[in-house]
Amino acid sequence: MTADPRSTPDVTELAIDGLLRLEDLVDRTALTELTKSFFTLFGIPVRIYSNDGLLLADASNEHEVCAYVNTTGGGRKACTETVRGVRTSELEDATNEVVHTCFTGNVYRVVPLEYDSRRIGRIILGPYAPPSLTSVPQTLLDVDKGIEKGRALTLLGKVPRAKPETITRIGNHLKAALDLILFSGHKSLLTSQMHLLSVRESYRELQEKNAKLQEAYDRLKELDRLKSNFLATVSHELRTPLTSIIGYSEMLSEGIAGELSGEQAEFVKTIHEKGEQLLGLIKGLLDLSKLESGTMSMRRRTIVIKEVLDEVLSTLTPIARKKGVELRLDVEGVSTELRADPERLRQVFINLVDNALKFTPQGGSVTMRARMVSSSSDGEEDSGFALMAPALSKIEVRVMDTGIGIPAHERAKVFDPFYQVDSSSTREYGGTGLGLSIVKRLVEAHGGTVGIEGNEPRGTVFVVRLPPASLASGRPPAMG
Amino acid sequence: MQLNFAAREVTIKLVYYGPALSGKTTNLKALHQIVKDESRGRLMTLETKDDRTLFFDMLPLTFKAGEEGGPASHGMSMRLKVFTVPGQVLHSSTRRLVLQGADGVAFIADSQVAQTENNAAAFLDLRDNVKEMGRSIKDLPLIIQFNKRDMPNVRKDAEIEQLAQKGKEPVFTASAVNGEGVLESFFGLLYLTWQRLDEEHQLASKLGIRPDQFLTMAARKLGHQGDVGTLLAACVGGRLLPRAGKAR
Repeated sequence: MTADPRSTPDVTELAIDGLLRLEDLVDRTALTELTKSFFTLFGIPVRIYSNDGLLLADASNEHEVCAYVNTTGGGRKACTETVRGVRTSELEDATNEVVHTCFTGNVYRVVPLEYDSRRIGRIILGPYAPPSLTSVPQTLLDVDKGIEKGRALTLLGKVPRAKPETITRIGNHLKAALDLILFSGHKSLLTSQMHLLSVRESYRELQEKNAKLQEAYDRLKELDRLKSNFLATVSHELRTPLTSIIGYSEMLSEGIAGELSGEQAEFVKTIHEKGEQLLGLIKGLLDLSKLESGTMSMRRRTIVIKEVLDEVLSTLTPIARKKGVELRLDVEGVSTELRADPERLRQVFINLVDNALKFTPQGGSVTMRARMVSSSSDGEEDSGFALMAPALSKIEVRVMDTGIGIPAHERAKVFDPFYQVDSSSTREYGGTGLGLSIVKRLVEAHGGTVGIEGNEPRGTVFVVRLPPASLASGRPPAMG
Repeated sequence: MQLNFAAREVTIKLVYYGPALSGKTTNLKALHQIVKDESRGRLMTLETKDDRTLFFDMLPLTFKAGEEGGPASHGMSMRLKVFTVPGQVLHSSTRRLVLQGADGVAFIADSQVAQTENNAAAFLDLRDNVKEMGRSIKDLPLIIQFNKRDMPNVRKDAEIEQLAQKGKEPVFTASAVNGEGVLESFFGLLYLTWQRLDEEHQLASKLGIRPDQFLTMAARKLGHQGDVGTLLAACVGGRLLPRAGKAR
């Protein structure tokens, strides 16, 4: 239970029954315009007061008789007294209209204003002359000796005359107009209050949800770190015994422990091969976890891309030849230097080219083509080209094959660890599903990007873009 | 409730809750039509262009307490503020705000069988919101109205009665669009609410008005000619009347 509904409304709660003040619900300028139009229409002065006696609107001209009376000392005093009475008199009943008679014989009508069954202010109509006023009343002559009867009578005749019922009608009309204004004002007040509160409530709700999401995110991040740690430890621990398996099987096949029969040699060779394969996988996992945890050490130096690609070409040419696939390198005119770890970059392109060879059938071709490109060529307008192009230039290497291709909707996923477009291809083509995820992370560690495009009419293009040494950060220049 | 002895006012907040399009605003409009001119204020509706409630509707009903009660209550202003909430799911925060400080709730359910799940979901929403405000739905004066009895494919009367008998909330049936059942539900809610307020704030001793006297007075002042007991008798189930020997 709230002690007093008339106290200031609590903004955290919709004020269902707070005290409404006339001055808060209406615009004073507009209210003055309304009263002026009533004054123009009926010639009766109109004033509107709030409950606290504050004058909110005033449409009146001082009658000549009032001006005349006010020139005398006694008249001025009596007038002030009358006006105060009209403004502050008690209004008992809601519907009760009070008639105040002025000492000049003119009258005021006080109309109480109600809204939502509560008193909110008053309308004062007048002074006007009642039909009964035909002579100068004694009360006027009594207030000051200086008042001339003849002058007073002339001026009283100029005061607008009105019957009581006419004034009642004017009062009711004005009350109805005001009620509509008050209702609209109240409605707007509640609406805006409600609006504000709903926004605040929604904000609070969002804040709560955000906090929960942040908590979940932090937990996941911690889990991810643990996973990387786990992976690094396990890979390392697996490698140690594996080295022994590979070493001893190698010694066996070399005949150090005695000659092996044909079948025995075959078995030992298989053990050795599978051991190497397993070691490759473990190395991959180790690289991946190092890249993910950011502990991969990079030995960067200034190089040109041709060095790296030449090496890749010479390493993989024998494999390509064996498979009957043509391997080409086109690196003309690209002499821009870049800061990179040549060993890691070689790993990137060996991986990409090896992959391309694997999925390209006999008679096909795999091409490495390096070029300088400006901007990210994302189709944005070339505004400020002269300024932006040098800052956005990249070394682009495209590895194009004529193999089985990757469907457009699968392209984003191939960089996920252990993802294979078609799991049956693992059996057909081999591979661990780690290569491309390592490629992506290595390229990103160099501040570059890697993406996939289709190679019409068939095949795949891997596009690697690396920043030149002059833009070591790998990012377009920031504003500021 | 706000009880202000200085200003001689009692203000009670009633809220019409329920799923979207169950007829909450229609109930208020019908109530507005039935109530006597001098006791009702303007019906304030905040609607979008397709007649859906955006924030809330509000119907103020005001009457002066008459001779029925003790001298403490004589001439006191009884101010009833009847609100509806927006039913659409997305206005959840607005519903909570309107519900704040409610003294009683009328849950307007849609009788159509296809709306069964929406009714239940809206009730759970009410329960959650009441809980979030730190109150319990068990302690909230609550009546249930099965509206839209005029529609085809509605739950059968017998079935509603059977359900109502098993539940504790008073249940009313209505066709608000035809003005049927509107007063019955309203007075049922008002009665239940006043009983609760009486228990909590000892209104019978403070104001000298017993719940049955209050209801008779409210019905007369709001312009209902008939017997208010007949209105309450329309309740098809649940507990509306005080447990024997409690109130008198």
